[in-house]
Order: sequence, then structure tokens, then C-alpha cells
Amino acid sequence: MEIFNLPDLGEGLPDAEIHEWFVKVGDVVQMDQPLVSMETAKAVVEVPCPQDGTIVQCYGNPGEVIKTGQPLVAFAESKTSSDKGTVVGKLEESTEMSEDNFVIGAPTAKSSRPKATPAIRLLARKLGCDLSTLKGSGEHGMITREDVQQAADKASKIPEGFEPLHGVRRTMLNHMVQSHRDVVPVTIFDEADIHHWTEKTDITVRLIRAIVDATAIEPALNAWFDTPHAARRLFNQVHLGLAMDSADGLFVPVIHDVTNHSDNELRKKINAMKQAVQSRTIPSDQLKGATITLSNFGKFSGRYASPIIVPPMVAILAVGRLYDAAVSKNGVIQSHPLLPLSLSFDHRAVTGGEATRFLGAVMASLEK
Amino acid sequence: MADITLLEAVTQALAYELEQDKDVVVFGEDVGKNGGVFRATEGLQARFGATRVFDSPLAESMIAGLAVGMSLQGLKPVAEFQFMGFIYPAMNQIVTHAARMRNRTRGRLHCPLVFRAPFGGGIRAPEHHSESTEALFAHIPGLQVVIPSSPKRAYGLLLAAIRNPDPVIFLEPKRIYRLVKQPVEDNGEALPLGKCFTLHQGEDVTLVSWGASIYETLLAAKELESEGVSCEVIDVATIKPLDIDTILTSVEKTGRCVIVHEGAKTCGVGAEISAMIMENAMADLMAPVQRVTGYDTVMPYFQLEKHYIPSVHRIKTSVLSIME
Amino acid sequence: MSKVVAHFEILYTQLLNSEGELCGPLPKFADDQATLIELYRQMVRVRLFDKKAIALQRTGKMGTYAPINGQEAISTAIGHAMLPEDVFIPYYRDYAAQFQRGVKMSEILSYWGGDERGSQYACNSEDLPICVPIASQCLHAAGVAFAFKHRQQARVAVVCIGDGGTSEGDFYEAINVAGVWKLPVVFVVNNNRWAISVNLDQQTAAKTIAQKAIAAGFEGRQVDGNDILATRQIIGEAIEKARRGEGPTLIEALTYRLSDHTTADDATRYQPKEEVTDASSKEPIRRFRHFLHQQQIWDETKEKKLLESCTEEVQQAVDEYLNKTPQPITSIFDYHYAELPDYFIEQRAIAVEEFNHG
Repeated sequence: MEIFNLPDLGEGLPDAEIHEWFVKVGDVVQMDQPLVSMETAKAVVEVPCPQDGTIVQCYGNPGEVIKTGQPLVAFAESKTSSDKGTVVGKLEESTEMSEDNFVIGAPTAKSSRPKATPAIRLLARKLGCDLSTLKGSGEHGMITREDVQQAADKASKIPEGFEPLHGVRRTMLNHMVQSHRDVVPVTIFDEADIHHWTEKTDITVRLIRAIVDATAIEPALNAWFDTPHAARRLFNQVHLGLAMDSADGLFVPVIHDVTNHSDNELRKKINAMKQAVQSRTIPSDQLKGATITLSNFGKFSGRYASPIIVPPMVAILAVGRLYDAAVSKNGVIQSHPLLPLSLSFDHRAVTGGEATRFLGAVMASLEK
Repeated sequence: MADITLLEAVTQALAYELEQDKDVVVFGEDVGKNGGVFRATEGLQARFGATRVFDSPLAESMIAGLAVGMSLQGLKPVAEFQFMGFIYPAMNQIVTHAARMRNRTRGRLHCPLVFRAPFGGGIRAPEHHSESTEALFAHIPGLQVVIPSSPKRAYGLLLAAIRNPDPVIFLEPKRIYRLVKQPVEDNGEALPLGKCFTLHQGEDVTLVSWGASIYETLLAAKELESEGVSCEVIDVATIKPLDIDTILTSVEKTGRCVIVHEGAKTCGVGAEISAMIMENAMADLMAPVQRVTGYDTVMPYFQLEKHYIPSVHRIKTSVLSIME
Repeated sequence: MSKVVAHFEILYTQLLNSEGELCGPLPKFADDQATLIELYRQMVRVRLFDKKAIALQRTGKMGTYAPINGQEAISTAIGHAMLPEDVFIPYYRDYAAQFQRGVKMSEILSYWGGDERGSQYACNSEDLPICVPIASQCLHAAGVAFAFKHRQQARVAVVCIGDGGTSEGDFYEAINVAGVWKLPVVFVVNNNRWAISVNLDQQTAAKTIAQKAIAAGFEGRQVDGNDILATRQIIGEAIEKARRGEGPTLIEALTYRLSDHTTADDATRYQPKEEVTDASSKEPIRRFRHFLHQQQIWDETKEKKLLESCTEEVQQAVDEYLNKTPQPITSIFDYHYAELPDYFIEQRAIAVEEFNHG
């Protein structure tokens, strides 16, 4: 049951006398309905019902004194006055059920906003580029400067009289750009004195052997370099790229594992590759995997060159036009045929010492 | 499958996760025998024992700091702050430790913890018991802030929060703790964090809200519908990380947006959403983004609190003011 | 009617007085010469590190640093007494314990040198990193200890805090919960008498800090924090007591801060000269060296060798620290959440752009 205690009826009154009951046990009462009148030191005060309910007990008869704060009347426990489930306030309850058909995210997914930083948006605006048409090649799919530049270039009109490069020429362009961007090239020049050679010497095959001999002494030039990770990969075998010119441009077919070929086999292979290049039938797997390149460029002119190193390789040996030179040997001038050699190496991955030793070994092999 | 209230959905989610993950522990003031002052943890101690569900001494910084230490050892504490108004003594532990432990140890240590608290006004409580300061937590790098608005979403989001490897502040809108009942299947299926929910589709205006204000927003949408304004209603649910794409997709369609939140206006979460919409959907907007929020005052004592909380009328007035 | 319903006693322990003379029974671990030498070595090693670290800051090669000079015995004792499976929760003058537990010298330098990897701890320990928000680490220790107890593991959490820290709310909240839940945690207070410029007498009216444990319902002990033997013994006993499930202990180690609070402070402004001189004569390494000489375990040759090897070790650490490649700018984004959130992506890209531009 719920007990209602006598409140302080007038600022600090200690008690009051029951004057007259207006309710009795068993009555169903309403809030504010007159409950009882109490006589205090000051006056007769009417006490209203503090709540709705049923009276179960009255604590005293008229004439009896009740102390302030002591029980006056008791109500039957109402069903709704159980655990309110809150220590403060009052939580609204509803028996309402609610439909709740929600969609996770947007009902119709749209293509997301272009992923670009403000600087890229600015660039795109400048170049007249629509970001929403671009796929980002950067980390997390962000659109990069290059993405925008490329798109703009593609979209822009070619100036009068210019023809865009295609095919092999375009490949050459891409290789050159990448090489220029990434590689740190140094070229060393020297000559091999080949007056010992017989007339029938196969120059290309001897050059290939010389390269193989040199890689045994200085393996650092028979390697690949990975720019993003600043890492190097050395090779046990030599996969030789042999530069070959054709009407369509430069090709570099690859003889895999040259050491395992005899001289005859090498010559056969070289001839077959030459044919295939001329007829444009060379398969793509024969154009891949070179670990070092040989370019015998001096057929028409040119003694020395600074040949381009194509990543991931780190070296290329270019051989110029064979010529007769006056050489001085022990104070005596003689005419000897000389083979000009230009060795370009990527100084990020190869030291000067390694390169000079390599070239020295090539010369030693050729001058045998 | 019984129909349950948001409060019971919280209990259901806690029970599910306590059952299936032995590393989960639930603690706080009065959450054990008493089942929490709102009964959010009712029956859990009886079912799982006092080693899994237990009362702590009266010390909020301690509750947060303990949770940090526990979670560093791989426990998954779900700690209760009795009211959001009493989370402030724990701010130091939350901001300087829970939020940045992973970052400052470069991933070596991290805190898979959840801090739950009833928040918001409208239950005629004494002062300090009606806070809506979720913006404070949303501002802190390293925290995640989640606010459910229905029994189903409370269940799914709390499961996701507990399973998340990083700290989540889970704020339960107490005004709607028992307002609505829904069937919520106890299947352990989490809802995704970092995703808004589209509660109602419409064409003319996007209404964005969260927590208890969802109800006034839905009511306003209903009334506006009959007045010829078709409203899309989005429940943000995860304040941080915010799924702005769902909101932008909607604004692209409607061109108008009104954000409704109970927390104070200045630097409230509505300001962030408004800025994001402006930065990304300027071309789509046909009117400036509106905010209907609590005033920049302390939440008044309960006699006047219903005049502070954004009402259906205020929301409608705001919407109509941007419709031509 | 009034009667005494509670009273308390605080025991103070000293085995080696400030002259380095034995004034109590040698503990068991002191039977082993190798152990004594090891304790000495750890103290010397951390002192040399400390001097070098200050020098690095003074020459602009490191940021603000919190020195440990004069307080070496405390963290040496902690690190020596703990088992690998225990967890250490330091504040910021605990290097000797951290070094013994696998943290690299170069990592501590990196931390003060402005590199978060300094708290990554390559040894992949569960120990917590250096804690700057005063006393907040005490609650973490309680949480860790709770996990041990919850999982019924025989592991102990050891936390260190300064005398000033024991005025903080988090300290009181931590010892309270440790006491009422009987957690396996040991609180070690480095009472070096100074909280920056505020002296112990201005910090608390409590006669001892140890007795704050009484308010939390468990044992508090005082020890001469410059006496490595007593400090090692008392801390060791407390750790094993916790491991046996007998609850927490608070150990107040008395010492003196023979340095600035940090390198950004000037202690000469407030530490009385005579006090500093007096405290220097009582510092831990000098008295222990005297003891070891007396026991004929140590001599000048060994001392010279030790100084050389420690100096070299410190130099290597300095080189490692100075030569460390700085973190990429993306590192400020990549460790906030288990997975990079969507809203980080653009900000991260902006940071990269700006970094490359500048």
C-alpha cells in the first residue's frame, strides 16, 4: 500500500490534530478531493487527496494528534506504480507499434563523387577536364595529376601539321620518357683493339660472349632495379636483348640464357630473330625479359653514343662503327682495327668501379 | 519474436554478444543487480554472472580508464555512463587515451571498447540529466559516435559497435527508450557503422536527423506530405564516420535540406553536415541548407524543456521557408 | 562513547644506508653476485643514457626530455623484479624498467624526438607507452590487472607514478577500485619530492604517500628509493603477493630529483642548493658502488669497462635514432582506425600533395 504522510501544513509546524475525516476506508477517491481537515496551531486546514485511489487505512480519529511526516492515510497499491524503470524523470511509454522499413544508405546508389583533392580539382578546371569521367590511378583510387594531364592531353586538339605517334614509335617514346624520369645514366667510352681477330669472326657473337664473360666478373650490370622500392635483383643467367632496327622502328628481341647456346646456335637465333623482326612476326615473349642489352649501331655512322637504358635494366653496351686507327704500341705507330664501345649504366644501381671493371672485362674478352 | 522497445533491444544485443564472445564484459554504476537505472542491463548479471556483468565504484574517470586498460588486454568492455551528463569526468581518459592509443603506438595497441550512455532530454529529469553534446565526441580524431533511433537499429548498431576494433561512443536517446515497440529478431546480425539509413523516400526536400528527433522529423514529414511537400527522411545513425554520400545522393535529387538535432546550434553536428553539403553539392542546392536545433543555451529545467527540443512545428516552418 | 575503530602503521625499509653500508639482512637475491652486478649495470647504463639524452636536447637534436638522474634505482628494481608475462605501465621516468623489458634506447629517444614509432616497441610487448596525462595511467593498470584476474592468469600489472601524481583524481579512483576488487596490481610511487616546482610539503598533508593505500583498503609501504637492495626486495615481494592473488600494494620509494623536471625546466630556480648537495651524496649509484667495492665484487677496472660498454651502447642508440628515416606524411593518417575510413582519403591525399610541394 502507499502511505501518505502528514505534510508540513505551515512552515515548520510540528504536528496537527485531526479535525474531521471526509473519506473512510474503502472509498474510491480522486486527486484534490477533500481528504481531511486538520487543526494546527494557526488554523484549521483542509488537506486534499494527493492522488487517485482507494483508501485502505486512516491513521487516527478526530481529536488525535499526528506528527508532521507521520502516516495520515494509506491508499491501495496501484497496478501502474511498479518499477518505473528510471531513477529520474518519467519515460513515456507507448503501446504503439511502428513500421520501420529502412534502407541502408541511399535507395538508389549513385556514382560517388570524383575522388580528387582541391589542388587536382583546380588543375582539372584549368585544363577543362571533367573529373567524373576519370578513373583515379592514385592510392585509394584518388585522381592524380598525371590522370588529369593525360586526359587533358587526349582531349586536346593536335596542333596543325602534327601526326600522333603510334605503335613501335609510341613504345619508344614511352620508354624514353620513363628512362629519362627514373634513370641516372652515365656512359663510359673506350675501344677494343681487334687486330687479332680472323676475317671470319662473327662480331655480334663475340660481343655477346664478351658481355657474358664480363657479367661473370661484374654481375651488378646484369640486373634489374625497382624504383618504388629502391631494390635490385641480380641474375645468374644472361638474357641478352639485341637491338635491331627495322622499317617500323627499333626492336629488342631477347635471347634467353645466352650461355647455354653454342656460337652456331647463337648465330642461327640471331638470324631468325632478324627475319622475324623484318617481317613483324616476332612473338611478344621474345621481346621480354632482357637483363642487359647490346646495340650494334655503327652500321652506317657513329663511333660513340650515350645509349638509353630501359628500366628495369641497368646497363646497355653500344658498339659503334669499326674503323682503322693509328695506334701506338711501344713507341711504334701501327694501323689496327678498333671497335668503339659505349657502356651506359644506371648510377642508381651500379657504381663507377663496377662499370669500369665490366667494360675492362668486355675489352679483355674481345682482345683475346 | 516479441515486439521490443529500443531499451530492450539494447539489452538483447548485449545479451547476444555476451553469449557469443567471452571477452565481452559489461560494467558501470548500478548495472549489475539493479540492471541499470533504465534497466538496460536487466537480467544480464543473473544470466552471465558477476564476472561478466558487474557494478563499479562511483567514479566515471575510473570507468573509462579501466575500460582502456581492459581493452588493451583484448577484453571487449561495454561500459555504461549513467547519463551523458556524467561522462564529462571521463573526457580525459576518452580523448587522451581511448581515442589515440592505436595512433600513438603505431597500431601496436588498440582499444576495442564501447562507452554507452543515455542522452538527450524530454523525460522531465533534473538538471544535468538531459545532455546532447555528441558534437564534442564527433570532433575528436580516433573516436566513432553512433546514435540509434529505433529498436531494430539499436540492436544492429550496438552489435556492430561491440565488434568494432576501435572506440565507439554509443548514445541512446532516452526520450524514445520506451516510446516504440518493434519486432527485432535476435539473430546477431549487425548493421553497418558509417552508414545513414533512409527511413522515408521523397522528392522535394531531404530531412536529416538522428536520435529522438527522428520522431518529430517523421511526424513533420507526414504532415508536410498531406500539404503537398514530399520529404525524404534520413537517419544519420553514425555521426562519425559520417556517411555523407547518402545525404548528397538525396540532396542531388531534392535540392533542399533541413537538418534537425536536439543539441545546441553552434558547432553542432548539423554545422558539419551543412558544410559538407555546401562543399560537394552546391550546384544541386536550390536553397541554403537549414538547421533546426536546440538553442545555444543550457537545456532548461524540465518545465520548459519541451520548448527547447525541436518541435514538429519548427521543423515544418523551416521546410516551408525554403520551398518556393 | 568513542573508541578507536581503525589505525594504521606504515613500515619503512632500508637495507643499504646512504653511506653504502648494510643496515639490514641481505635479501636472498643478493646472494648471487651476478644479480648484484646486473642491478648495478642497469643503473649505470640508464644514467649514461640519461646524460646523453639531455645533451641531445641541449644540442637541438631531440625535443623536451624528462630526466631520471638520481632516481635510477626505482625503475631498475621494477624492471628486474617483473616477469616477462607481466605488464608495465610507466609514467615518464621509468627508462631502466623499459630497457630491461625490451624497449630500445633509440625508441625512447624517438618518442621524445617527436616520432610515434618510439612507442611502437619493436619487441612487440604489451607494456603501455610513456604516459604524460598525470596519473591517468593508474586506471589503465587497474584495467590490465582486471583482465589478468578475469582470465585467471598469474600475471601482474605494475604502474609507476610521481609524488605529485598522487594528488590526481585518477590515482585515487585507481587505488580505490584496485582495493575493492583486489586486483593484481602494484603501485610504485617515485617520490622524488618535486612536482615540477611544487615541493612535497605543498602537495599533500599526508605524512606518507604510502598511507593513501590505507584509505583504499590495502597495504602501503615506504622504502628508501635510493637503496637498490631494499627497493628491489620490497617491489619484488609486492609483485609476488599480487601474483598469489593477495591483492594490490602501494610502495612509496623515497628519492630526490637531481635534475630539472624536464629539459624545459630550470630547477635552480626553486631547488635549494644545500638540499641538492645533500641529496647528491645519497644518490643510489654511488652508495651501491661503495657496497660492491666493500664486498669485493667490483673494482676500478670493471668500472672502466662498464662505462666504456655503456657509452658505446648509448652511442649506437643515438646513431640509430639520428639516422632513422623520417615517417612518411601518410603515417599521420594510417594508424587511427583498423581500416582507413573513407573520409580520410581526400585529406590524406591533400597532405601528400602539400608535403611534396613544400
